[in-house]
Amino acid sequence: MKNKLIPIKSQGADFLNTVKMIPERLKDVKNASDKPAMNPEKFNVNMVSAALHPKKQTLKIKKIDVISPDVKSYYFTWVGSQPLAYFRAGQYLTFQLEIDGSIVTRAYSIASSPASALKGEYQITVKRVNDGFVSGYILDNWKLGDIVTSFAPEGTFVYESIRDAKTVMALAGGSGITPFLSMARAIDDGTECFNLTLLYGARNKDEILFKDELDAIAQRNPNFSVVYVLSDVKSKPKGCEKGFISAELIKKYAPVNEKYSIFVCGPEAMYNFLHKEIPTLGLEDKYVRFELFGVSKSTLKLDGIKPGTYKMTVINRGEETETTCNGEETILNALERAAVKVPVRCRSGECGFCRSKLVSGTIFLPETVADKRREADARFGYIHPCCTYPTSDIVIKIN
Amino acid sequence: MSKKYDVIVIGAGNGGLTAATKMALSGKKTLLVERHNLPGGYATSFVRGRFEFEASLHELCGIGPITGVGALKDTFQELGMYDRVEWVEVKEAFRTITLNDENNYDYALPTGKEAFIEKAEEYYPGAREHIEKLIDLAVQINNGISFLNNIKSFNADTVKTVFDEHLNFLNIASYSVNQVFDALGTPQPVRDIFAAYWCYLGVDLDELNFIHYATMFHSYIVDGAVIPKGRSHTISCALLDRFEELGGEAWFNSDVKKIIVKDKIAKGIVLDDGTEVLADYVIANASPYNVLTKMIDGAEIPKFQTQDNNAKQLAVKGYAVFLGLNKSYEELGLNNHSYFIYDCADTKKVSELSKTNKKCALQATVCLNKAIPDCSPEGTSILYMTSIFQGDEAWKDITPENYVKEKRRYANIMIDDFEKATGAKIRDAIEEIEIAAPVTYAHYNDAPNGTIYGFQAAGSNSIVHRLMTMAMGDKIKNLGFCGGYTQQCIGFSPSYQTGMMAANNAIKYLEKEEASK
Repeated sequence: MKNKLIPIKSQGADFLNTVKMIPERLKDVKNASDKPAMNPEKFNVNMVSAALHPKKQTLKIKKIDVISPDVKSYYFTWVGSQPLAYFRAGQYLTFQLEIDGSIVTRAYSIASSPASALKGEYQITVKRVNDGFVSGYILDNWKLGDIVTSFAPEGTFVYESIRDAKTVMALAGGSGITPFLSMARAIDDGTECFNLTLLYGARNKDEILFKDELDAIAQRNPNFSVVYVLSDVKSKPKGCEKGFISAELIKKYAPVNEKYSIFVCGPEAMYNFLHKEIPTLGLEDKYVRFELFGVSKSTLKLDGIKPGTYKMTVINRGEETETTCNGEETILNALERAAVKVPVRCRSGECGFCRSKLVSGTIFLPETVADKRREADARFGYIHPCCTYPTSDIVIKIN
Repeated sequence: MSKKYDVIVIGAGNGGLTAATKMALSGKKTLLVERHNLPGGYATSFVRGRFEFEASLHELCGIGPITGVGALKDTFQELGMYDRVEWVEVKEAFRTITLNDENNYDYALPTGKEAFIEKAEEYYPGAREHIEKLIDLAVQINNGISFLNNIKSFNADTVKTVFDEHLNFLNIASYSVNQVFDALGTPQPVRDIFAAYWCYLGVDLDELNFIHYATMFHSYIVDGAVIPKGRSHTISCALLDRFEELGGEAWFNSDVKKIIVKDKIAKGIVLDDGTEVLADYVIANASPYNVLTKMIDGAEIPKFQTQDNNAKQLAVKGYAVFLGLNKSYEELGLNNHSYFIYDCADTKKVSELSKTNKKCALQATVCLNKAIPDCSPEGTSILYMTSIFQGDEAWKDITPENYVKEKRRYANIMIDDFEKATGAKIRDAIEEIEIAAPVTYAHYNDAPNGTIYGFQAAGSNSIVHRLMTMAMGDKIKNLGFCGGYTQQCIGFSPSYQTGMMAANNAIKYLEKEEASK
């Protein structure tokens, strides 16, 4: 069928203009520089990306504060040409260590303010966990001047003004104080701008970390206040609360007739308690955020766990290696024990860095860990080894 | 250690995935290497709280209508993965709104040729005649392209067919959308309606090639659009699944530092840990800009190829806000799937405005639940807003320190604009928010200058120029390219197709080599 002609300029000119497109392009090519274009790494956007997300950071321990034999603060500075990556208060660093032939990782919240990263300093605080493999190793082995390796700061446990209420009720327990210390410092130095009311639970006054500094910030900065909540005391100490952080206590210190957010970071027992308390406050879910703490020992009591030693075949860039895994450890644990380098950050199932393909075998994903896999990942057989337990021999492709 | 493959595909983006799968399907020993820990490139998703966000796809064309035949559907069927994805038809086309004109417009249009025309006629009596003319041209262009794609060689008959049936297609090839509008006397409201998708190509209507726009319009409106269940990550997973099933090998967390080129012939790759892998042919789904500036020694690149690369401009930078809302779309009054909110109707002005990030010149925003109601938990909804920036000015002064504040400032502008344009109040319902700025695209996709659209499809680098000259000039041998930077320009459907074209070229070469042995 013949189509009616639609002239744009005129029939002759139109066809000619089409034909001219080839020489038009070739002319531009001929006139272009024959030197390679700018290296893309030199664009400011790409430089900022590289500065915020270095693949790895080589850090030197420049100071150690011994708070007690079981709690120490480590201060790092950078080595080499790459400055410390900036971060958001509440984010964590994942350290990679080699211990007795295993390659292990642990995530620690950064306790220092983002502003101090610009001056070349990160601080983390490590507390000995009962039979904690890595915390014990760090506390007993890391020395002044040691060089350690971390990945770039990660994590979503941060204040976001578009999403969160203007006031955050921070509920901390034990070493769970560190992200809030970073936030308090960031409010104090002007990096962050929101109201932070910290309810800090501890057994007694001696267990409170950073009390002097927290008190000093609260003294000078109207946007920050702190209340210590002590459980193992006979009577209510002056200026403190006695008992546990409860809905009633939150209400007592929360703003009245104004929305507030709740951020929680602490041990599992505290989470279990608060999971019952917080709902009674009637807040929308969006105003309640729990920091992750990984899979815990209590997981092992779940029915889905199948104790036993299983064969684990690991595929990495087309190479297969065989090792073993255990029904009572996460697949990530088994990989690290076998010194397999796996990309890992949060160790809590959330970040997805360790996403790997379960080629064959069966697994158990504890119901106590939220399944943060993508819908398609779950469908196509991908797992997050950091929170997944083997229940048979498995074949896993990590790269 | 050095392994030998028939072909190495660098990058598991859309083009890389189809290229690798096609190679494996043809029995070639194929290695796919990807710097990230998952396939897809921009075709991916991420989880925040109880929401899984689509990273980039708004609507996919070339698949629908699901009962019909579309070019991409043929490709996915050929590759044997079409049935591994559940496709959901998107019935609404778009709602397009201006915010700051003297007389703002607000039009909502459905897909389907007749339904689209009818609705346009309602908005602007007399629109029918004009839109029919434009759609007729779009159909002619589409027919012209499939005719050219399917002929083996020119003879008297094919030439006659071209002159009888496809002359308009040939005659119109050099003109911009506005030149065609002017020639046809298209009234402004019809332009606003017909050209609402223009921001998807990142080029204003004075610059944007009419054929380029018309083919996209045709595939969205005449053929219809779809969304995959489980986000575009499902397509990426399904392609990878099929590739591995066919015996293909995929390596993740494997960043290619160098392409080994000797005597202007590609021989293999070097990974960032020094691993060297050899192959007879290399297909790069990495951006040609990066390949030619940092992955290959300049002395090994033919002069034409460097100049050709330099005669292209990087396209727009990307920016997106992802919102998980704690109310349903009905409660929030999010009545449309796809929103275009432009500062004004003058696309040149909008483009100018998008050179800085002081204001939001345009946003393309999707409420995913309108297409897939259960894409988020009951009583919640997902909204993602995208904007683009022309030129080098916007985000030029970004630093690690001001980065979060700057991207949040811009997100606030977009959210305010959205509320103002649509009347829907979403701010208080924001339960999760993630913001992707040009730095994010540089981080995840190694995008030079944070571009999301490859090379600007304008000037002498329009889609038609690209297609007409793609086989010309002296270039590195045995090195093919695919993805949004290449001959078909950006977009999901085109980038999948470029992978097929790159694979077909590689297969042709490898089979010729095989035969000559």
